[in-house]
Amino acid sequence: MRIACPHCGERSLDEFLYSGDATVKRPDFAGTTAMDDFVTYTFERTNPPGPHRELWYHAAGCHAWLVVTRNVSTHAVASVELARDVALAAKSATKDSAS
Amino acid sequence: MADHILTPSSAFMDWHPPATPKLAASARETLTMASFAAARGKEQALREAISAAYGAVLPKSAGRVEAGGIAFVWAGPDQWLAITEHEGARDLEAELKEKLTGIASVVDQSDSRVVVRISGSRARSVLAKGVPIDLHPRAFAPGSVAITHASHVGIILWQVDDAPTYEAAMFRSYADSFAHWLFEAAAEYVSAQP
Amino acid sequence: MMKGQTGATGRPHMTSTHYSIFSVLREALRGHTGWGPAWRNAEPKPDYDVVIIGGGGHGLSTAYYLAKNYGPLRIAVLEKGWIGGGNVGRNTTIVRSNYLLPGNIPFYELSMKLWEGLEQDLNYNAMVSQRGVLNLYHSDAQRDAFARRGNAMRLHGVDAVLLDQAAVRKMVPFLDFDNGRFPIHGGLLQPRGGTVRHDAVAWGYARGADRLGVDIIQNCEVKGFIRDGGRVTGVETSRGLIGAKKIAMAVAGSSSRVAAMAGLRLPIESHVLQAFVTEGLKPFIDGVVTFGAGHFYISQSDKGGLVFGGDLDGYNSYAQRGNMPVVEDVCEGGMALMPRIGRVRLLRHWGGIMDMSMDGSPIIDKTPVDGLYLNSGWCYGGFKATPASGYCFAHLIARDAPHPVAAAYRLDRFATGHAIDEKGMGPQPNLH
Ligand SMILES: Cc1cc2nc3c(=O)[nH]c(=O)nc-3n(C[C@H](O)[C@H](O)[C@H](O)COP(=O)(O)OP(=O)(O)OC[C@H]3O[C@@H](n4cnc5c(N)ncnc54)[C@H](O)[C@@H]3O)c2cc1C
Ligand SMILES: [Zn+2]
Repeated sequence: MRIACPHCGERSLDEFLYSGDATVKRPDFAGTTAMDDFVTYTFERTNPPGPHRELWYHAAGCHAWLVVTRNVSTHAVASVELARDVALAAKSATKDSAS
Repeated sequence: MADHILTPSSAFMDWHPPATPKLAASARETLTMASFAAARGKEQALREAISAAYGAVLPKSAGRVEAGGIAFVWAGPDQWLAITEHEGARDLEAELKEKLTGIASVVDQSDSRVVVRISGSRARSVLAKGVPIDLHPRAFAPGSVAITHASHVGIILWQVDDAPTYEAAMFRSYADSFAHWLFEAAAEYVSAQP
Repeated sequence: MMKGQTGATGRPHMTSTHYSIFSVLREALRGHTGWGPAWRNAEPKPDYDVVIIGGGGHGLSTAYYLAKNYGPLRIAVLEKGWIGGGNVGRNTTIVRSNYLLPGNIPFYELSMKLWEGLEQDLNYNAMVSQRGVLNLYHSDAQRDAFARRGNAMRLHGVDAVLLDQAAVRKMVPFLDFDNGRFPIHGGLLQPRGGTVRHDAVAWGYARGADRLGVDIIQNCEVKGFIRDGGRVTGVETSRGLIGAKKIAMAVAGSSSRVAAMAGLRLPIESHVLQAFVTEGLKPFIDGVVTFGAGHFYISQSDKGGLVFGGDLDGYNSYAQRGNMPVVEDVCEGGMALMPRIGRVRLLRHWGGIMDMSMDGSPIIDKTPVDGLYLNSGWCYGGFKATPASGYCFAHLIARDAPHPVAAAYRLDRFATGHAIDEKGMGPQPNLH
């Protein structure tokens, strides 16, 4: 398994740190259901056998946080995006839907 | 209180580099280095300031350019490392701070890193033993840069010329571990060669 | 031997030879032509009292103790592949009860006691070998942590001996004691720990359960649950519908997949763990040795191969194979601990899918779905738990109340703040 960092190109797995499921979203700590939401967010995982979106950190490379979409049954990597871009896109999407 | 005088010392405890026509290594420990990163929204202003001051076009991705005796090495997204010989009392941090006021943050790196130069026709084979990237000339050539690791030691690696000559910058405290690995990797090309 | 056994009478009945010196002698005299299969290859029936999903060590031991302690019951074990094809046949066979936390020690010690009587109980040679498990320490801080763990063990009646460097040198003189980075200062020894032949455990429990009337149904994959209101009443399988009063999941690395069919999301991630075996050598490592400064542990099998492993690969995976960086990392650990291993040739390496829980400890509990029971979260340490896991899970299924020794392994402990985190890593499954 190799990961193509948008900054550095295709690199060996030992340059990266796995930082978990990228599909879970930190809940609103002030919400009325915050307690339950945080339990779900912190502990429960879908853990699907196919495609999975996850966070990886290019620790021994450029130090970028990445969102990697990967099939966890074959280890085939489908896409690698900068986590920054993903977060900014999500932000502008919520802005758009709010306006 | 007693007076303490700090004298610079080498980062290497055990330094016996290969020195053959096919493979030579040397340590560059008299450099002045500074890292700089663009302030938010100031990337363009930074490029213009560097170009005006040194005539250099900062590499957008992993690359290295030389201008006015300074090497500008890409060191991550929107970050660079400026390197030159510490001649006279040249101090890159002070110099860049003055030129980049308000558009970039500048931090002295002179004593944080050591640069090891490895050159000769065997240099590529030696590096390939510990560096997990493709060093074939098609993939890596003069001007190329990679932030990676060599036998677990984090390095910024770049190629200087077609000899080929490579340079690896690493944190000083890891320099001895790097040298340990390098000399062992180099041994087969150094000993008992006709 | 395969004929005439319905297996659904609920009454214990014999289906295979009782193993003894006399049966071995008899078979030796007739050229070993009289041995029958150790268990029946059963066909599914329309319904059972209890259906256990997963024919690994835990599913089979659950079936055995359920039939033995709570029968008569009509029980089936449904296995999608073959008995022993999962983690029970992929692990590095280490058994021990050298835990620190109150929720864990009594449970793993019960398991150790069950191992000690297992072969007599099952009339099956599982090659239980109490050759000792030695955890090395490499610093003063690590010695103090091991002393604390040893004390906790002894307070619970578990054997533990803190050894200094000289004592360890005597046991395993060939280690690199004076390694510049990771000098060996001593070790914590559990003399009763050791190894057990992993697939013989699956076979032994399968045979034991079969003799008590349990149907072991291979090539039978569960593909969905049949619900009646809030309750599960059966399973859809690749071999048809099977009704059940109670359904118990013991599917290890597949826990999230099977639970999802019942609409559940678990505090589990699936990760791959690799293991390695070398060519056979003359005996030289008596027990199990673990390196305390990296991820490496080793023992020598009865065939002479060095069996070793290290850390998880560290990312979610359902592929029963890992990647090269961990192979390198494990070999580096081996070289740091015992440089002579560099001369040995590797024969095989493989991977298994671990059900990594959010605190590194298991779950044996009812689920929010009526009639559905969960056994999961075994991480990379569930082989040693096989007897106690089945013993306590059987109790839970039969009595609808947790066995006292496994009472801490609740599914809701994360929500209530009762996580059992031996390593103190927090909810990061790849770090446990
Ligand atoms: C490389 C490695 C080394 C290990 N070393 C040790 C060790 O030294 N000591 C230790 O204590 N533990 C160790 N473990 C952990 C231990 O092997 C596991 O925790 C334990 O075996 C899991 O329980 P099990 O035996 O029931 O799992 P499994 O044998 O995996 O059983 C689960 C079964 O469920 C079946 N299944 C899944 N989905 C379905 C379905 N839909 N329908 C029907 N059946 C299904 C699977 O086919 C499988 O056979 C190791 C694991 C690995 C991979
Ligand atoms: Zn990168």
